[in-house]
Amino acid sequence: MPRARRRQSHALIHLVLGVGGLIMAFPFLWQIVMSLSTNAEVQSVTPTFWPAHLQWQNYAAVFQRLPFLSQLWTSVLITVIRTLAQIVLCTLAGYAFARMRFRGRAVLLGLVLSILLVPSQAYLISQYQIVQGLGWLNTLAGIVAPGLFSAYGTFLMRTAFLNLPAELEEAARIDGSGPLRTFWSVLLPVVRPSISVLAISAVLWSWNELLWPLVVSTRATQMPLSAALATLAGDVTVNYPVLMAASLLAMAPILILFILLQRRVIDGLASSGLK
Amino acid sequence: MSAVSADVSESAPAPAAPATRRKRRGVRRGDGLWPWAFVLPLLAGVLVFYIWPILQTAFYSFTTWGVFGGFKWSGLDNYSRLFTDPQLYRSLLNTVIYTAVVLLGVPIAAWLASLLNTPGLRFAQFYRVLFFLPYVAMPAAVALVWRMIFNGDYGILNWALSLFGIPGPSWVNTPGFALAAVSVVGLWSSLGFSMIVLGAGLKNIPPELYEAAELDGASRFRQFRSITLPLLAPSVFFVVVVTTIASFQLFDLLYALLGNHNAVLPKTMSLVYYFYNAGFVENDKGFAAAIAMVIFVLIGLVTLLQFRLQRRWAGNA
Amino acid sequence: MASFPRRALAAVAGTVAAAATLVACSSTGASTASDSDTPYSAPDTNVSANLTYAVWDQTQVKAINANLAEFNKKYPNIKVNVDVTPYADYFTKLQTEASSDSLPDLFWMNGPNFQLYASNGKIEPITGEVKAGAIDPKNYPQSLDQLYTLDGVQYGVPKDFDTIGVWVNKALFAEAGVPIPSKDWTWADLQSTAAQISQKLASKGVYGISAGMDGQTTYYNTIFQSGGSVISPDGKTSTYDSPATQKGIQFWTDLVKSKAMPTIKQLTDTTGDQWFVSGKSAMYQGGSWARSEVAAAPIAKDVMVLPVPKGDQQATVIHGLSNVVAANSQNKQAAQALQVFLASKEAQQQQGDLGAVIPAYNGTQDAFAKSMPGVDLQLFLDEVSYAKPLPVSKNTAAWNTLETNLLPDAFDGTKPVDAVLKDLTSQMNADLAKE
Repeated sequence: MPRARRRQSHALIHLVLGVGGLIMAFPFLWQIVMSLSTNAEVQSVTPTFWPAHLQWQNYAAVFQRLPFLSQLWTSVLITVIRTLAQIVLCTLAGYAFARMRFRGRAVLLGLVLSILLVPSQAYLISQYQIVQGLGWLNTLAGIVAPGLFSAYGTFLMRTAFLNLPAELEEAARIDGSGPLRTFWSVLLPVVRPSISVLAISAVLWSWNELLWPLVVSTRATQMPLSAALATLAGDVTVNYPVLMAASLLAMAPILILFILLQRRVIDGLASSGLK
Repeated sequence: MSAVSADVSESAPAPAAPATRRKRRGVRRGDGLWPWAFVLPLLAGVLVFYIWPILQTAFYSFTTWGVFGGFKWSGLDNYSRLFTDPQLYRSLLNTVIYTAVVLLGVPIAAWLASLLNTPGLRFAQFYRVLFFLPYVAMPAAVALVWRMIFNGDYGILNWALSLFGIPGPSWVNTPGFALAAVSVVGLWSSLGFSMIVLGAGLKNIPPELYEAAELDGASRFRQFRSITLPLLAPSVFFVVVVTTIASFQLFDLLYALLGNHNAVLPKTMSLVYYFYNAGFVENDKGFAAAIAMVIFVLIGLVTLLQFRLQRRWAGNA
Repeated sequence: MASFPRRALAAVAGTVAAAATLVACSSTGASTASDSDTPYSAPDTNVSANLTYAVWDQTQVKAINANLAEFNKKYPNIKVNVDVTPYADYFTKLQTEASSDSLPDLFWMNGPNFQLYASNGKIEPITGEVKAGAIDPKNYPQSLDQLYTLDGVQYGVPKDFDTIGVWVNKALFAEAGVPIPSKDWTWADLQSTAAQISQKLASKGVYGISAGMDGQTTYYNTIFQSGGSVISPDGKTSTYDSPATQKGIQFWTDLVKSKAMPTIKQLTDTTGDQWFVSGKSAMYQGGSWARSEVAAAPIAKDVMVLPVPKGDQQATVIHGLSNVVAANSQNKQAAQALQVFLASKEAQQQQGDLGAVIPAYNGTQDAFAKSMPGVDLQLFLDEVSYAKPLPVSKNTAAWNTLETNLLPDAFDGTKPVDAVLKDLTSQMNADLAKE
């Protein structure tokens, strides 16, 4: 392909992606602007695209009103435990559902997937009573327990394993590897991109979840950041800029993590392309 | 072009092949106890924390459930009340509309992912980050921003519209516009996820296929149809199923965007909001359980249909 | 292989059965009807217990901790864990806990939810504490004692209260050249004043008045002022179709129609208090709790406050929270000791001094009245003499939703007021019949 043509077609692609990207990112940019404005500027009919004076004290106000660090730690703890558990459990089960034969496979898969069909609030009281019965109220175990098991993640990993050519496995078997070894050293590396997707989903979901931790725990220090944000938003006095600052702070750790993870996802994708 | 298709089915067979083929290729006999060792850890948790509650809910849907426990068998009362409640059908319609809009994002995401996949494209990484941002954002936080954008008096959306002489409505509390606003935000926040999964699928397609097709003089569209689409099928299927299920579960976004004191809710609420309202606001838990079961069956049917369609589609590919 | 799945399933079935047993166990102990005559005596001062005290307002935690420090001087071995849950999720959590008999030992209760918990035996009456002389209901506004009484049994005394007034932006009045009404103003005064300001300041997009458009701060007040009511005294039927009630609703419809206030859609998009604090409305009918928000706004120096205007009679809505003890608390005596302490003059004085709320104990409200120099906050306290409690029933939330959904059509003139109220009455009656 002639270079000129290629560059021209790239220009069009850049236009599409650039405009699209701007639309996608706009709410965040707007949020940053609002978080640094005064309440009056936020509510002016002609938008204030840049505040007259940057109101950094909006961020200070957030830290004054929330035990930010301890809640950040809780969020991190919940997120890490759940994500690791989901990766292990879903990868194992996804592999079995995709590549192994056993009696009742279809039924069991259906059973697992069926939990996606029920509104999550419908689980609330039952799950609470189960956690209570296990004596896990007000413990980390109780907070993380139901979230260790993900039907969605199982479905995702099953799809990933289904996508693989059978030759990979057969070659390993001919070499005499057992199922665990085949799984661990041959197949797992290949589905790394999907594991990254699973990890991202699990992280986000754990990070953003609000109702369950609030319900099973009565200790403020065991509340995640998402709950803290809800506490602020529920205040009788609404100060939009402070709310914007708080929500940015609540999202910031995950956004940073994401940008770091993003590299890994792309690396994973690239390595799978080389197979 | 036929050379390309033949090449396709040989080097990377459609993974979601018909059942018979899959059995022959993917699964061998003699797996013994291994499958159980792989599946049981997950299954145990699923049974205890999810299946058991579902069974409980199913049971309670046939009872009048006291606010704080204690129940009275009431047979099909909840269901007969439910099926004669116009709010059920309104909520169902709203949910279907929302789902349809969000599903529009799947082809868009496929297209964008393929653009991002253009060899030698500069700033691809930067674009990726931009498009994935909404997906990683906290829904509660994001809804706050959108509420400001949609504000009828000083929202920037209406300001932008006014530049073109269009008077914008109070988006989140005008019937019709409220659902449109929720749907657009739903589309916005799910696009990044679809792109991430479809992008992973695209990366798995050997570039040689495109090179061969280009030598054959196949147009970009032709390449997309004959190489990309069939090879992407499992990923597309996954995204469609997951997006549909998630969209049918619409609640958080609606709740955060419209608030719970909004007169537009009866005309805008989703099935899950309807369930939440019955169970946790009106304290009618047996009735709410019946709604949950209807949601369960509905999504179940839609998902089953999608599985069927996928099998047929993959079978013909 | 053939036998393994079955065994696995058996194991799984066993797990489920175990879970079932757990659930069954946890839900059988439910309806232990509490004996309202249990006598109360203050526990020994060295009693040790771990209590959970559930609240929803983070901004009050500082004052609560100060209270607890005092409490611990008397009972050093009672440890109290303050559990803050955002309001949006507070009652969802409480319902879950109540269904599993694991309610916090002591927790905040509000009017709309009180009867639900009292009638299901989930909370402990204060009869014993009153008999023992540890709590005297006479020390609190009577209307609020009434709010927390069901079938003649009282379950709590108010910890704080709030009434409704009209916040005024003097600068906008001056700008419009409209005189500020006097404290004994009437409906007609409010209507004409607001309409004039809207008219004079139309070019700046400023309205005469804004309001929250909810029952408590807005239309319950005018309904009471016109001699109407929302629910019959026995709490069994809706009275929304009475002419007096209709008059109270019509008041707001007229204000919207005359453009004296923003439309309902505008007021949903941007709440009434936001219109006021950003200088876009000259008056705001709102609660005494708006004080902290108003004081922090740029318009604070121009603010004064008026009582709600007089209709056919003088009336406003009073509401307050109460600390209630869980009926099946494991540490009931300790929880009651804390309940008694938080109801004491000493504790409520401290609450008032720290500026968290208006304390309910008679004579402890001075700090609040003086908390905004130049603004006569005393009038919120004076209003107590003619205030009526927030209307509630056993399942208040159900018909509150109906109000939210149906009334806006009446306010913004989309449907005739009488038609909307007829519809509301019949739907509300259907909900009340279910109670």
